[in-house]
Amino acid sequence: MIELSFELPLATAELRVEAELPAAVTAVMGPSGAGKTSLLEAIAGLRRKARGRIACHDVVFLDSARHLRLAPERRRVGYVPQDAGLFPHLTALGNVRFGARAGTRQAETAIETLEIGPLLARYPASLSGGEKQRVALARALATAPRMLLLDEPLAALDVELKERVLPYLMRIRDEWKVPILYVTHNVGEALALAGHVLFLRAGRVEAQGAPLDLLSSPGLSAEAEAGIENLLRGRVAAHDPAGGITRIELDGKLALSVPLAESRPAGSAVTVAIRAEDVLVSTAPVKGLSARNVYEARVEGLERTGVDVTLRCAITGSGRPWLVRVTPAAVEALGLAVGTTVWLAVKSHSVRIV
Amino acid sequence: MLTADEAGVVLFTLEVAALTTLLLLPPGLASAFALARYRGPGKSALETLLSLPLILPPTAVGLALLEAFSRGSALGGWLAGRGIEVVFTWKAVVLATAVMSFPLLVRSARTAFEEIDPRLVGLARTLGCSPAATFFRVTLPLAWRGVLAGAVLAFARALGEFGATVMVAGNIPGRTRTLALAIFHDSQVGRDDRAAVLAGVTAVLAFAALWTTEWLSRRLERRAEE
Repeated sequence: MIELSFELPLATAELRVEAELPAAVTAVMGPSGAGKTSLLEAIAGLRRKARGRIACHDVVFLDSARHLRLAPERRRVGYVPQDAGLFPHLTALGNVRFGARAGTRQAETAIETLEIGPLLARYPASLSGGEKQRVALARALATAPRMLLLDEPLAALDVELKERVLPYLMRIRDEWKVPILYVTHNVGEALALAGHVLFLRAGRVEAQGAPLDLLSSPGLSAEAEAGIENLLRGRVAAHDPAGGITRIELDGKLALSVPLAESRPAGSAVTVAIRAEDVLVSTAPVKGLSARNVYEARVEGLERTGVDVTLRCAITGSGRPWLVRVTPAAVEALGLAVGTTVWLAVKSHSVRIV
Repeated sequence: MLTADEAGVVLFTLEVAALTTLLLLPPGLASAFALARYRGPGKSALETLLSLPLILPPTAVGLALLEAFSRGSALGGWLAGRGIEVVFTWKAVVLATAVMSFPLLVRSARTAFEEIDPRLVGLARTLGCSPAATFFRVTLPLAWRGVLAGAVLAFARALGEFGATVMVAGNIPGRTRTLALAIFHDSQVGRDDRAAVLAGVTAVLAFAALWTTEWLSRRLERRAEE
């Protein structure tokens, strides 16, 4: 658990944060100038004017009442700024090894996780934006951090690169078990990665809680209009060239058919994206429909997001809930409410491998 | 060709310039770093004060050093009491060239330190570096161009220093005579041809120092872009 209770004077306002964050992924959201980066820097120990209390698990970073301030080098947080902040005078390997407190084994695991082996001899000046971000993430992971602070790690990347880096972030979340504070403007990213959202405005915490519960808050709902995606991890099970499909086994043993993708070898790990508005909802078992993927689920949450309604649906026997976007009219016609049993249907062509 | 005496002068001058540059690096870098970081009152006054030797007549600086280090003064007396004689020895040559070169090193290094992205310094801290380790692993490597340029300027200045040296170290053959002093001496006694030869040697040395730096700098720069 991460305990935040501090104040920090900013150029225009004052940042005042009172929050207890779970030891998982927290998305930090809010308009520009809300103090998101300052929040990360205060936790990292780079803002000496922060007053109050900051603690991560049992380690106290700051406790002004007891005149305690842990130096940044002793906090062991992995901070990745927006532009990656690689040291230009070191190769990618030099950057990853720079901090490697936990020895080279930790660095090697980080290099494997982010698949940057082929980049190691190169200098930052010759790396692309996505490559820089991956090297910076590996550098942070190599220090065996107590916590990761990521400042819009995907913001500087174009859509294609974003989809290539996002799976790595999901992998860090699932395999490294490090608490992550993740600054983002993108609701889709927040929903895909985070279990908790901290929404800042003008230096204050305006709202916090589960991502979907927050979608009705004014700041978030406007951005939610831009589109919500379900990002799911899985493994290629088999190819069926005759049927034109590739079968994927999602985490939680769910079988999913996607258009034939023989470039991905059987057994390889993949991340798939399904747009929330591409999921069909039925209140009766589905028969005689062309959609290849039909799952029984239960409505767990129901949030007005802009003009639409976003449902959170737990699929029977599967882990992560899916987000499904329907119109208020559909909610009324189908009598959807929390607890309703539904069948979700997705066309193979609505599933993208990212 | 150079006579044995002249060769000795060339060697002595190179030794003095090299020693001066080496001795200057620690205090020079420390001052440059402190000036780059310091934001309090009196910053510009402090910077001006440090640059003063650049503007003052070198003979005035030499005179001040002579006063400070002669046996009659507190400092000179204290040193003499410990058997250390500075004035009119090779130590005075190093002292004079060091004081005259100091501002060149500091100005160049300070600018280089100021140009470093402070966020990289903060990042190094979050990656486990103490402030001292951060200086040697991030700040200094990122400022190396300016530091190297400053060191070479200081070296070149030390090669040619005349006014302050002649005041505090004299022009003693075989003891304190550097190239600049030898040129002056040869010219005074009518050996203009020898003075010209020595002037040529000085020019070649200064050119070599600057050119080597430029070459080294380009080479390292290319490597970082690969």
